[in-house]
Amino acid sequence: MGEKVFMQGNQAMAESAIRAGCKLFFGYPITPSSEVPEYYAKAMKDRPEENIMFVQAETEVAAFNMVAGAVSTGHRAMTATAGPGFDLGQEAMSFMSAADLPAVVVEVQRPGPGDGEILAAQGDYFSAVKGGGHGDYNNLVLAPYSVQEMCELMQESFELAEKYCNPVVLLTDATLAKMRESVVIPDYKELPKPEDITNSLTGKKGREAHKVATCGDGAVQWEEFNLRLQAKYKRIAENEVRYEAKNMDDADIILVAYGSMARVCESAMKMAREEGIKVGMIRPISLWPFPDVAFEGITGKKFLVVELSAGQMVQDVKLAVENKRDVTFFGKLGGTTPSPKVVLEQIKKLV
Amino acid sequence: MKKELLFSGIGGQGVITLGETLCDAAIKAGYNVTFVPFYGQEKRGGRTMCNIVISDGIESPIISEADIMLIFDDRSLGDYQGLVSPNGKLIINSSMVSVEENVPDTVDVRKVPFNDVAVEAGNPKTANVVAMGYIAKLLPEVPFELIQEFVEKSFAAKPKLIPVNIKALSMGYEL
Amino acid sequence: MKTIYEKPQVFTDAITTYCGGCGHGIVGKLIAELIDELKLQENGILVWPIGCSCLSDRYYDMDNFMALHGRAPASATGIKRADPSKFVLCYQGDGDMVSEGMAEIMHAAIRSEKFSVIFINNAIYGMTGGQMAPTTMLGQVASTAPYGRETLNSGYPVQMAELMATMPGVVYSERVTVTSPANVAKCKKALKKAFELQLEGKGLSFVEVLSPCPTGWKMAATKSLDYIDEVLTQVYPLGVKKDASKEEN
Repeated sequence: MGEKVFMQGNQAMAESAIRAGCKLFFGYPITPSSEVPEYYAKAMKDRPEENIMFVQAETEVAAFNMVAGAVSTGHRAMTATAGPGFDLGQEAMSFMSAADLPAVVVEVQRPGPGDGEILAAQGDYFSAVKGGGHGDYNNLVLAPYSVQEMCELMQESFELAEKYCNPVVLLTDATLAKMRESVVIPDYKELPKPEDITNSLTGKKGREAHKVATCGDGAVQWEEFNLRLQAKYKRIAENEVRYEAKNMDDADIILVAYGSMARVCESAMKMAREEGIKVGMIRPISLWPFPDVAFEGITGKKFLVVELSAGQMVQDVKLAVENKRDVTFFGKLGGTTPSPKVVLEQIKKLV
Repeated sequence: MKKELLFSGIGGQGVITLGETLCDAAIKAGYNVTFVPFYGQEKRGGRTMCNIVISDGIESPIISEADIMLIFDDRSLGDYQGLVSPNGKLIINSSMVSVEENVPDTVDVRKVPFNDVAVEAGNPKTANVVAMGYIAKLLPEVPFELIQEFVEKSFAAKPKLIPVNIKALSMGYEL
Repeated sequence: MKTIYEKPQVFTDAITTYCGGCGHGIVGKLIAELIDELKLQENGILVWPIGCSCLSDRYYDMDNFMALHGRAPASATGIKRADPSKFVLCYQGDGDMVSEGMAEIMHAAIRSEKFSVIFINNAIYGMTGGQMAPTTMLGQVASTAPYGRETLNSGYPVQMAELMATMPGVVYSERVTVTSPANVAKCKKALKKAFELQLEGKGLSFVEVLSPCPTGWKMAATKSLDYIDEVLTQVYPLGVKKDASKEEN
């Protein structure tokens, strides 16, 4: 185990990515994600022995397509952006999922719509989880809630992307990105050889030619192509559900939250229990696939879904619970995060 | 143990640096620490505020009520005084703040002229370090020696400034 | 019997979908010949656009990347930066490069990316049914300019080879065509130069090819060739626009 350091979320995450063997970063600076490209730009010069390559792209459109090209060669690559940049990357997200490209994208949420603000928000759940691009595809979406978890999931994202040949979105928010916290940065990881990555473009020496292509050739071929993709998404859905459930056994009220909001809810849960209110919590870590299983068979309890949005994840919760009338929503818009005390007041309304 | 702190001022007053140094010391003391900065849109002269949570376990990085609130300018007082805990301590830099606070009587309000003390210490720029010393006294959970160690570390690149800052820190602690 | 010509080895047995009289096939054959001659098949990655050439992965027995519309230079950047040891060819048409992907090609040139770009300029959108391109001539009829392109509404044709020649990051820029055996030979020479400059690790090398589109132009194949020689070359003059390959780095 390494030493504990006090580090900003974005920077700790960038260091973890480098240690996961992601030596290629393509990005367009946008608040609150800019510390990630800045970290890579500095590392490229300060650590020449690690062969780090940072390219500041002209747009997020280009950055995402650069990542697509880079990962097609079997090397690990990523970009990091905020909501407005993720919008521009959606075309490439659809493409990369269809083309089986193991890209990793960090999205640091800030409040929209439009240009918006640079504070914390969770209003990009739909665009990350439901796939804002065209066609039937899914991103594997992971939502950490601490700087430590950001670092660990950052590293795992590359492995998952390669395992399933699909883009992985690490969905954070301005609070997690800007927050400093004590963290043990995970160690350097063993890397697969580019030639060992499925369908990687390494030159056809000694093998059949590989191609990255998503162009249809008639309805029959295209349906087959789509069904193969659906089989991929099904494999992910069956194997990669992640969540954390706490104090569920005796709970009358179950909080549901992810990311920095889950962090607040956990404190609210403790405060409630100190006052004798039996509160539990489900924290989805994989947002797609959504942890439906965490809600199965739970009856006679109330769910309070708390988000920094007008109500996005709550739709998935309603699909997952036995009785959607058990679900209450509390959301905050504009960039302020409700404190544990504010969440506690909401809990008390349900008692 | 769980302590929630909020420091707020104007960019350049060193409020964020103060918060970070306190966090370093608290981590070394073995606590879980979170530090969330909030910046204004403007790069200089804008307002800077931070939430600090020092605790045994994992907690919300967003505070409910400040056990200790440090205010370095008028507008910060107006905006954040509602977040001070009824049993909390509100520390106002009276060298910089001219408006009156409006908090429940149970709040322990301390008005301290940090800038004047800094001048006395020998450098007007050390007002934030004086404040750090003052907070160290109110937060015995984080040993003063550790805070001193990290104040020294933060001036490692400018060793000439260490003595005056240590003096400012001690003067704040003795207030 | 003596063999005087063989199909390039890198070609698969697939039949192209190009129309009769189209220039893509000629350029495609020259690329294949050069891949054989320069031995690039096993160490090259071809990056293709959206457009008539978007089924090219079927024609070349080597690693292919079929990029999104206009984004080929961005994806080629990712590929070349990830693995500079590879020969990377970026092939684009006028709709792909000059309309949808103007930012991507300009910034690849600004960054002086170390790959080669072939630009097929047929002054029209061939694949999708003859709509106006940024390179469509003034007065030229297209399905989205049914009475001919007007400057008032649609501005002016874009001269990419000249534009690229102004960029410090571009090491070579030439405009060629394929209207006669002599012009085809010149085209091959330009492509070879561009490929070799990449292999030498120089900056972006760019070749624009004025290419006939008899279907899109609603013209007989032979007349299309005359149209290039007599009309297109007036706005798009042939020749080397920049050769910085001999300058000191």
